[in-house]
Amino acid sequence: MTPEPFFFLAALLFSIALVGVVSRRNLFVIYMSIELMLTSTSLVLVIFSKVLGSADGSVMALLMIAVIAAEAALFLAMIIHLYRRNRTLDSEMCDELKQEANNA
Amino acid sequence: MLSLIVVLPFLSALFLGGLYLSRPQLQNSFIYTAVGIASPAISAILSFVVLLRMFADGNTVYETLFQWIDIGSFQIAVAFMADRLSVVMISFITLIGTLIHIYAAGYMRGDPCYGKFFSYFNLFMGSMLLLVLADNPVMMFVGWELVGLSSYLLIGFYHQDHANITAANKAFILNRVGDFGFIIAIALLFVSLEGSGFTFDAIAANISTLSTEQLTLIGLLLFVGAMGKSAQIPLYVWLPDAMAGPTPVSALIHAATMVTAGVYMVARYSFLYVEIPDVGLFIAYIGAASALFAALMATFESDIKKILAYSTMSQLGYMFIAVGLGAYSSGIFHVFTHAFFKALLFMGAGAVIIALHHEQNIFKMGALKKALPVVYVSMFIATLAISGIPPFAGFFSKDAILMAAFSSEHYDIWAVGLFTAFLTAFYMFRLLFSVFFAEGSKERTLQELPGSMTRPMLFLALGSATVGFLGLNEAFGGHSWFQHFLSLPDVVHEVSHSQEYMLAALSVAVALMGMGLSYRMFAHNPQAAKSDQWLKTLIIKKFYVDELYDVMLVKPLLLLSRLIATVIDPKIVDALIMGLSKSYLLMGRGFARLQTGRVGDYALQILIGVSLMSTYILFKLGMM
Amino acid sequence: MLELSLFVILALFIVGGAVATITNRQPLFSAFGFLVSMLAMAGVFGLLENQFLALAQIMVSVGAVVVLNILSIMTVNAKEENLPQEPYKYRWILLSGVLVSPVTFLIYKSMSMAYQHFSTLETVNTKVMGETLFSAWVLPFEIVSILLLSAMVGAIVIARKKDVIAKETR
Repeated sequence: MTPEPFFFLAALLFSIALVGVVSRRNLFVIYMSIELMLTSTSLVLVIFSKVLGSADGSVMALLMIAVIAAEAALFLAMIIHLYRRNRTLDSEMCDELKQEANNA
Repeated sequence: MLSLIVVLPFLSALFLGGLYLSRPQLQNSFIYTAVGIASPAISAILSFVVLLRMFADGNTVYETLFQWIDIGSFQIAVAFMADRLSVVMISFITLIGTLIHIYAAGYMRGDPCYGKFFSYFNLFMGSMLLLVLADNPVMMFVGWELVGLSSYLLIGFYHQDHANITAANKAFILNRVGDFGFIIAIALLFVSLEGSGFTFDAIAANISTLSTEQLTLIGLLLFVGAMGKSAQIPLYVWLPDAMAGPTPVSALIHAATMVTAGVYMVARYSFLYVEIPDVGLFIAYIGAASALFAALMATFESDIKKILAYSTMSQLGYMFIAVGLGAYSSGIFHVFTHAFFKALLFMGAGAVIIALHHEQNIFKMGALKKALPVVYVSMFIATLAISGIPPFAGFFSKDAILMAAFSSEHYDIWAVGLFTAFLTAFYMFRLLFSVFFAEGSKERTLQELPGSMTRPMLFLALGSATVGFLGLNEAFGGHSWFQHFLSLPDVVHEVSHSQEYMLAALSVAVALMGMGLSYRMFAHNPQAAKSDQWLKTLIIKKFYVDELYDVMLVKPLLLLSRLIATVIDPKIVDALIMGLSKSYLLMGRGFARLQTGRVGDYALQILIGVSLMSTYILFKLGMM
Repeated sequence: MLELSLFVILALFIVGGAVATITNRQPLFSAFGFLVSMLAMAGVFGLLENQFLALAQIMVSVGAVVVLNILSIMTVNAKEENLPQEPYKYRWILLSGVLVSPVTFLIYKSMSMAYQHFSTLETVNTKVMGETLFSAWVLPFEIVSILLLSAMVGAIVIARKKDVIAKETR
């Protein structure tokens, strides 16, 4: 079996996750989309590990899983914090960095 | 030694200026007088030491202070050169300058700006010495500019009066016009020499590499500079207005510094002008025209200082006739003798003005012969000298110039010069007779003149009477010692002695005629000229030159400025720039819309960018 | 042939899970789609003959991350009115899907152009991986452990209630 279907799967997964990040406003969905993107990257690493016959890619994927775990902890903590503050899961409520209209 | 001569007046100017600014309560202090006179005096002594050395060995002295500009072949050093010409110049400049300083100490006594005056005065001296001793055209230009600056400061010295400021501005701006020509000439000279050294010696050595066209252009442009500085047609109108300054300033400008700079410059570039006799002829014609023109205006002027100003312009015309016709040493000789009697005339005028409590109209003076004997005698000598009566100084130098004009067969110039000599005698004696002989009012009290004013006058009177003998030519039993010492590249035409005697006799006769006419008209009951004929009116109104310049240059310039200030600048330039800035603001507002603060929007923007880039790469790689 | 059919099934699960994740309105349903996707991904790792990573994926991503995720969603327990109003959700998805398609194509093309075949040198088994991890990659391994520790501390600090912090700093 050739690696091409795997590459296509990784690209497709990444793209679907990217669409999720861009088009959705629910913080949980955004979080999960990001996780999917990370997973698709680790999939690419694993494929390359097999393509090159080297363990480095697999090790990187392993470390990546650890990073995903760390990211999950922080991201979920932040979502909970934001929900407590704003009483909503809408990402559009977090717009304090925007350009104020009056001091343009 | 040379650098000391130049630097000393600058240092004292700086010191006096600092003192004046830091201690304004220190009025008329002795220290101003002491330092202000000492620095030109020391410069004078040093100049004479250099002069004596020059007598002994005849070598040109060089001295480099430091390297100023060092860009490839463009090497300009702050360096001084004392050859025969510049040594003679600095000698009489410092001598007469010192005498005028002493005189000024008396004249300016009691003035609240005494210290400032001496600071400017020393600056003026230093600038002129820098100009004369400069080793290269660039340094000469620096001195040239500094002379313009200090003349501006001094003409506008009584800056409380608006008219004085106008006069100072006029002098400065007209000098700018001349400087424009001068600096272009320097640049052209440098470019066309193609980097083969830029000191006067190097230029003189390489001058033959230049084509005649280049030389003509450079010579003409240099002369434009000289026109401005030396008040020749058409850039002379500042000179009469420059009388707004204190009288010692006029004496310094007209005798030792500034106006002679143009003549000196032409003599300094004599190696260049020798190659282009056509330009020289042009210079001579301009000089002749200026001489006649100024003499005519002086004839109907009634302000004592303005008469002297026009006479200076007229005498400068003589000098330019000489240098234009290639008689450089005669021109410099006239500069030399003229410095003596013109300084003396201005000192006398200043003394009369002071004695009469600032009265400047010669027809309101009269009968001062008995009251001011010293002033009378010295002014009389100076008048004889300027009118060209032998054996006074002016006779020999003027005669040499007229001889040069006659022998080079430019009889038109010679005739103009002769007629101007007649006018000179006429208007100078008109001044003398009106001021000293004619009846004056009896019930006036004269102000006492301090000795510091009268003693330099006596000294200069002695000089005016005798310095002419330095240049006594062979026809009169001398050896033209002065001219030979200068050793400039003169164009010599042989004339027989009998011709010389005839010419001399003719000019003396003419001068005596002018003197006699003026005695008949003004010795007893002088009257200001009435403008009853159109010709007289024309001359009294100074040929309407000021008005002409006003209509031709000043008014259009003002109109143009107003146009630019009210229409072009705010409506077009500003509008363009403001419009540009406004469009940036609008653009900024537009882009600010993109900054919503919402992460999703940023992600979308990133996605759009990434998408476009991906499409581009795909097309580039030929995958789509 | 078996491999390919396995791959197709797993890939369908992954894509289907992902689509379910990004389209569902309720975060809990999204989380189940996410769970499916992650599990299928572990299967793909296994298909790539990388047993250890497949196990790690199940244990960490599914066991820890997804469970934590579901727990968080339940803790927040957002009511219907607290969920964001997304009336044009599908339009947005369509638009960004169009925008994203060249990126997908580029990623796929650039990777598949470089490597057409799997290596025949040796399979990456757990032993080799362990050796590599504890020789060349030991420093990143240690750094990741510190990262996990600091993430834990950070998560506690961020998620704690405000009045608790205020009380302690007082």
